Amino acid sequence: MKDELRYFFRPGRDLLPDKSEALRYMGYRSGADNEAFERLYEECLGEFMAAASYKAVARPAHINKDGELLDFGFCRIENGNLAKNLTGCRVCWLFAATAGAGIDRLIRRYSVLSPAKAMIIDCIASSAVEVWCDEVCRELAHSSGACKPRFSPGYGGVSLDYQKGILAFLDAGRKLGLTLTDSLLMTPKKSVTAFVGIKDQTGIEEIE
Amino acid sequence: MTVTQKLKKGRLYFDGGMGTLLQEAGLKAGEYPENWNISHPEVIRNIHRAYLEAGSDIISANTFGANGLKFDNLDEIIGSALANARSAVDSFGEADKYVAFDMGPLGKMLEPIGELPFEKAVEIFAESVRLAVRYGADLIIIETMNDSYETKAAVLAAKENSDLPIFVTNVFDENRKLMTGASPKAMIAMLESLGVQAIGMNCSLGPRQMVEIAREYTEYSSLPVIVNPNAGLPRQVGGKTVFNVDSEEFSDCMREIASLGVCVLGGCCGTTPEYIRKTVEKTADISFIYPEKKNHTLVSSYTHAVEIGKRPILIGERINPTGKSKFKQALRDGNIQYIISEGIAQQEKGVHILDVNVGLPEIDEDKMLTDAVKELQAVLDLPLQLDSVKASSLEKAMRIYNGKPLINSVNGKQESMDEILPLAKKYGGTLIALTIDEKGIPDTAEGRLAIAKKILLECEKYGIDRKDVIVDPLAMTVSSDDNSGRITLDAIELIEKELGVHTSLGVSNISFGLPGRPAVNAAFMTMAMTKGLSCAIMNPYSAEMMQSYHTFLALNGLDKGCAEYIQFASTVAPAALTAASASPAAETVTQGSELKRSIIKGLKEQAYEAAKSMLKTMAPLDIINDEIVPALDTVGKRFEEKTMYLPQLLMSAEAASKAFDAVKSAMDTVGAAKGKILLATVKGDIHDIGKNIVRVLLENYGYDVVDLGRDVEPQSIVDAAREQKISLVGLSALMTTTVEAMEKTIKLLAETLPQVKTVVGGAVLTQEYADMIGATYYAKDAMETVRIAESLDLK
Repeated sequence: MKDELRYFFRPGRDLLPDKSEALRYMGYRSGADNEAFERLYEECLGEFMAAASYKAVARPAHINKDGELLDFGFCRIENGNLAKNLTGCRVCWLFAATAGAGIDRLIRRYSVLSPAKAMIIDCIASSAVEVWCDEVCRELAHSSGACKPRFSPGYGGVSLDYQKGILAFLDAGRKLGLTLTDSLLMTPKKSVTAFVGIKDQTGIEEIE
Repeated sequence: MTVTQKLKKGRLYFDGGMGTLLQEAGLKAGEYPENWNISHPEVIRNIHRAYLEAGSDIISANTFGANGLKFDNLDEIIGSALANARSAVDSFGEADKYVAFDMGPLGKMLEPIGELPFEKAVEIFAESVRLAVRYGADLIIIETMNDSYETKAAVLAAKENSDLPIFVTNVFDENRKLMTGASPKAMIAMLESLGVQAIGMNCSLGPRQMVEIAREYTEYSSLPVIVNPNAGLPRQVGGKTVFNVDSEEFSDCMREIASLGVCVLGGCCGTTPEYIRKTVEKTADISFIYPEKKNHTLVSSYTHAVEIGKRPILIGERINPTGKSKFKQALRDGNIQYIISEGIAQQEKGVHILDVNVGLPEIDEDKMLTDAVKELQAVLDLPLQLDSVKASSLEKAMRIYNGKPLINSVNGKQESMDEILPLAKKYGGTLIALTIDEKGIPDTAEGRLAIAKKILLECEKYGIDRKDVIVDPLAMTVSSDDNSGRITLDAIELIEKELGVHTSLGVSNISFGLPGRPAVNAAFMTMAMTKGLSCAIMNPYSAEMMQSYHTFLALNGLDKGCAEYIQFASTVAPAALTAASASPAAETVTQGSELKRSIIKGLKEQAYEAAKSMLKTMAPLDIINDEIVPALDTVGKRFEEKTMYLPQLLMSAEAASKAFDAVKSAMDTVGAAKGKILLATVKGDIHDIGKNIVRVLLENYGYDVVDLGRDVEPQSIVDAAREQKISLVGLSALMTTTVEAMEKTIKLLAETLPQVKTVVGGAVLTQEYADMIGATYYAKDAMETVRIAESLDLK
């Protein structure tokens, strides 16, 4: 496998957010059908899809393991959960994905005008960026073979401190316009970084 | 010869990528390339040298990320980088080769999307620019900018701290927009107006994707255009990978780009001296054309440019306190939300530009105008017309404006021109020029033409192009002078014909003092547009004026297939029907339940209307106590019973707050709030959906909520709680990693303000967790927070 950045892009209208996930984020359960809500949801969905612009970059990294200490070349992480997730992998993908800065503005606009719409769009966006990550992971599996479930910093006790190294490794500032706030949160907000272990297969685990 | 002189004589070539070559030489992932200026000067010099040999005229010093946010030894980094570049140029020995100080993005997103304040960004760039000047750069290349606002901050820093030529390139994506939304035309408008020397694009996806953007640049830009693409990126779609662009394909494409009239060519990520050498060779026989001056009058927002002169433009006049007591009160209260709502409502009515006037004697107009502009441009994408009689207010607003504004206004008085024209020159913008001078407003069209001429002459002295001046020949009220309509109409025609400039008019003045003003305004607007009026400052809520506008377009062949007119007419008709059905006669005795129903169903407009009509028969307080509060309680109960869910709860809350608005306007004093509650999402967490819901509900239940937002430091929460005398603090966290920050906050609160109670919530929290970190209460959802608040005496 070549050590190079791969780039992914989809226009906002080409990807349908997962409604049931969005509803789950809203704390919505089935059996509460409501015409007014459905109308508002559709309205929010339309505005969201017009504002979204999906991009992602990915790059493979070697994993040198020593128990729970993982050395990816550009950073070292000691964490049992991540080590377990990457069990049996000698190479993993690093990726960064975003739904774009337009969403931040849209949510801000409605947090002034209509908290209900702001919340619905926020939840749609959260579900959409996951759908986008799923698609990126599918593409990655296409070229590398089967992958493990993705694992993001900020969860499972993996500190956000690693975000800086990950974004630099992926050149995500230049390629996606991703930046970090002083407390290491990403802008645009609807963005995800993750490790994706490649299930060990002969022939593809070497990075040139 | 300076680089700008040389650029007038022939095509120039930039160098290509630096990063890839440094990685080949051993730069590790994560290591700052700029440090190599000091640790490996010979490697850097050799790369510069290789580009010079390949034919580059301008080499970029290795300073892409050299800014004070990243480096403590900035002086040394920039000094050595420029020394390396200079030494490569000197040793190469050819004349007229230039060293560019390369200034990339800061790596922090500016407000409002990010957190870096605009002025702070200017300051950081300024520090680098001063060093670039000290260490002898020949020009500044501001590059790889994916945000128009950061671009402007960098340009201002360069202008204010150097006399060096400024070149600017932005990154456009597959949508042909910057990451933060700007179109090529928007960038051309802003940058030309800021007075830089060359503009264009770099990085992105490779040369092929830049052809169309380059075409747009050459069509609209009067400045030389730069195209520095990268060597493509491996892209993957449906399992198929699209590979890098090799030097052959790259240079073929650059040939096509050169033939569009692009004056400066080079490369970005992944390109090497080989790419540049082939580009130079393959474009040698394409004749060089310096761009001719274009005459497009543009204003822009952070997303798009509006072109003035093609078809009449509507400028919404409603953000202006004149004659509006509610607006005045909003200004005195610093109620920016009122202004934003006014802006968005006008946008929805279809105006193209918003006038922003917040002048009131008793307020600090400098601050208010700046705040209003910041907030408006955070949430809506229309270009703004900055409107003030105070030059200081205009200057501050022009500075922080994200785009190229309309400036309202300059006039024929020497004092006004002396004040305003230098500002327009420095910050850019299109001027509204009023035909009034020391002697007043001439009562002939010729007199007004003469003042317009005088202003244009003065603009020339400053180098302000006449395409950036729009003359307002002033509409005076026809009720006090029979001829005033006629004179203004003649002046529009005369000024356009004699001076070739566009015109603007505050239309509604004409009808002052007359009955049936909307009809007069609409007719006058049609007449003025027939005379060639380019911009109408008008009231978009006036159906008559909108009608006049749309019919004018349709009847003048400016509306293909009358599509816009039909669309407009379809939005007007149903509204009229709604009005009929909502008339008092149609309402029945079920008024009380109508309001309740509307709130429970979450129907905002209906709730507002229902509350308004109830005011005819019921006291305001009774409406609140007998209708709104019970309706909210019903919603709260259903939510707790899980027959209604969060979004519906919020919709109901919004409907209730609309009903409140209607009722409040009828009350002398608003009932005292139930007490203050502070809310925040803790440090390290940006998930604030939950917190926002809690806020809306608490406000609806009559609490005064101090919302510190997301990602808030423990100390800031303590400080605010102390200053605002808070007795209940609500904290929210969604990520496991941020529960720690929550615990810290609670501990700090307990130490410094032991009387303060805390309520915590969020996806990762449980009662056990809450107990463990020492919170007073745990709320499993928004309604529970309300119940907890109600169980306490917070006054």
